[in-house]
Amino acid sequence: MIRIFRKLAPTPQWRVPVVIISGILAGLFIYVFYISRAYSYLSDDPATCMNCHIMAPQYATWNHSSHREWANCNDCHVPHNNAINKYYFKAKDGLRHATIFTLRKEPQVIFIKEEGKRVVQDNCLRCHAALLSDHKVMNYTSTYQHVRSERPCWDCHRETPHGRVNSISSVPYARVPLHENPVPSWLRRLMKKD
Amino acid sequence: MAQAPYEKRLTDKRYPMKPISTQIKKKPWLGWIIFLGTIVVVFFLGLLASSIMERRSEAAFAFTPQVQYGDLEPRNEIWGKNFPTQYQSYKQTSDTLFKSKYNGSATIDMLEVDPRLVVLWAGYGFSKDYNQGRGHSHAVKDLRHSLRTGAPMDGKKSPMPNTCWACKSPDVPRLMNEVGVAEFYKGSWESKGHEIVNSIGCSDCHDAQTMELRISRPALVEAYERMGKDITDASHQEMRSLVCAQCHVEYYFDKNKVEGVPYLTFPWDNGFSAEDMEDYYDQIEFADWTHKLSKAPMLKAQHPGFETYMTGVHAARGVSCADCHMPFMSEGGQKFTDHHVQSPLNNVANSCQVCHRQATEQLISDVYERQDRIIENRDKLEELLVRCHVEAKLAWEQGATEAEMEEILMDIRHAQWRWDYAAASHGGSFHSPVEISRVIGTGIVIAQEGRIKLSRLLMSKGYTAEVAYPDISTKEKAQAFIGLDVATMLAEKEEFLKSVTPQWDVKAAEREAGYSVKSIFD
Repeated sequence: MIRIFRKLAPTPQWRVPVVIISGILAGLFIYVFYISRAYSYLSDDPATCMNCHIMAPQYATWNHSSHREWANCNDCHVPHNNAINKYYFKAKDGLRHATIFTLRKEPQVIFIKEEGKRVVQDNCLRCHAALLSDHKVMNYTSTYQHVRSERPCWDCHRETPHGRVNSISSVPYARVPLHENPVPSWLRRLMKKD
Repeated sequence: MAQAPYEKRLTDKRYPMKPISTQIKKKPWLGWIIFLGTIVVVFFLGLLASSIMERRSEAAFAFTPQVQYGDLEPRNEIWGKNFPTQYQSYKQTSDTLFKSKYNGSATIDMLEVDPRLVVLWAGYGFSKDYNQGRGHSHAVKDLRHSLRTGAPMDGKKSPMPNTCWACKSPDVPRLMNEVGVAEFYKGSWESKGHEIVNSIGCSDCHDAQTMELRISRPALVEAYERMGKDITDASHQEMRSLVCAQCHVEYYFDKNKVEGVPYLTFPWDNGFSAEDMEDYYDQIEFADWTHKLSKAPMLKAQHPGFETYMTGVHAARGVSCADCHMPFMSEGGQKFTDHHVQSPLNNVANSCQVCHRQATEQLISDVYERQDRIIENRDKLEELLVRCHVEAKLAWEQGATEAEMEEILMDIRHAQWRWDYAAASHGGSFHSPVEISRVIGTGIVIAQEGRIKLSRLLMSKGYTAEVAYPDISTKEKAQAFIGLDVATMLAEKEEFLKSVTPQWDVKAAEREAGYSVKSIFD
């Protein structure tokens, strides 16, 4: 181990510049990690999704819906069949979102992709499966389960939970959890004094 | 070994890589590549960092105001320039057309509807005049019109203190900020009439800079402190109820906290229940007034709407006041909070039906069913209380002593407090039907206990006949029964509204002309 390190270590006359340059790179990397709140993406807190403020309509409408009390963003929007799949999907989706957001390529109205739809539908059923296996109704209609499970739930339940109005500018006044100033308070105080 | 690996590397065959300086000496372009490569990496990482920062601050600046005004701007129409949709919906609180089974948005003369109230409140302002209030935008006007505030003219003072303004206007936080809290409460009601002119609105619940919900009334903050809680810890969802709890709560005027000041105080130290607050009042031996007929030391429950809501199932499930009384609405392509604060029965689709999938009629009839059942027993208790007061009056006339009456009067005090706790909680029979039924039940027991004691006492004085129930079938008859001359009061009030309040408005307009409101386009 030490040997590998020695192999990679710069020769003495290069140590100082290499240390400075790698310090700059590492520092910048940590800074990006901090201001982008990258660490928060491991949680299930809906406020995390507000890291990109364009998600405000989704947050605000969810927060005014009945799902607020029972399901957070990840409950519906990432798969829950196993932990690996959950984080794989989250990372994949999240990196795509981050890229589009950074490039300012977000559309005015965000629509869910096919893959995301499947995940959401599975999650609808994860909680509401009993609605599809109601024996009472299945007795009346032999095609009940078939007809119900072929269509996504939101073909009919269109207001659940985000409603139909979802453009980026649809909730200009919603009070959503925005980030606090990334500059720590002690630093702000010091800067004010000067 | 102090032997530097560097020396080794120069000679050792196992280290094929020469020091970079040696390599660069041989191939100078290598140095340039390292230099440029570092530039590119740092450049793009820096770009990414600044992009993240920029987009983060975008969120904070998403809203562009039309005008800039002070932190405590009291005029709702000025805020309305920046928030036209919210202001428009707020203006709808002036609507008086909605009518539900027992309430609605119009003025209802409750003494007319239920003349027994006149007897229950004999000797207290509410026996003169008690109306079902209208929407928020009528608050100042309705208070000026109430007979309870009197007709303070020509050196005559109002029977009410300035504390009565405390819930009526965004001028309140402004003025408290200018003169201090205790100084605000001090003095009789007419002395600050020219200061309080804008009805309940924006600044009562919102921070002018961030539009975040905020508590503007000290009484709630102080009550939280006495309960050992910090109100600044409240989540946004809790704040959507707490801003309402600044006013829609039980309160009293503490005359001991600051000398000569009726200091607005919430009696929450022991808890929110009828018994907890009753204990609190008994311990400090507080009475709102002495009853004119029975001489009982009475308590007037104000409107423990928040306290009773907290005992209900909706509160237990995390539903806030605003969820039902100010639901999200959409207009054009936008969604915003409906600031037409009103009965959800007038907007079932956006309130109840967000969670409950039943038909509108079904949901409304569920509410009425609870109200009907609770009012049934409340009416019973009300009748018992009228009898209590009349029988106690008779007992005094029959020569009862204070010692003989003491327990009876406490029963009357407690029974009527429980009746009022239920009645004045307004939405209580829906917010918390089980708790309200329980409180009324205990009230009936206490009232009947009191009447048993009364009948024993009357018998000991040689009075064995049934005590007649007074003819209080109309408001006029009831007010005549307790000896109240309302006609004079009405005439004085009319004169007051003609001669005094217009001057208040003129004075207020002069003051407000001096407030700074800047258009950001100038």
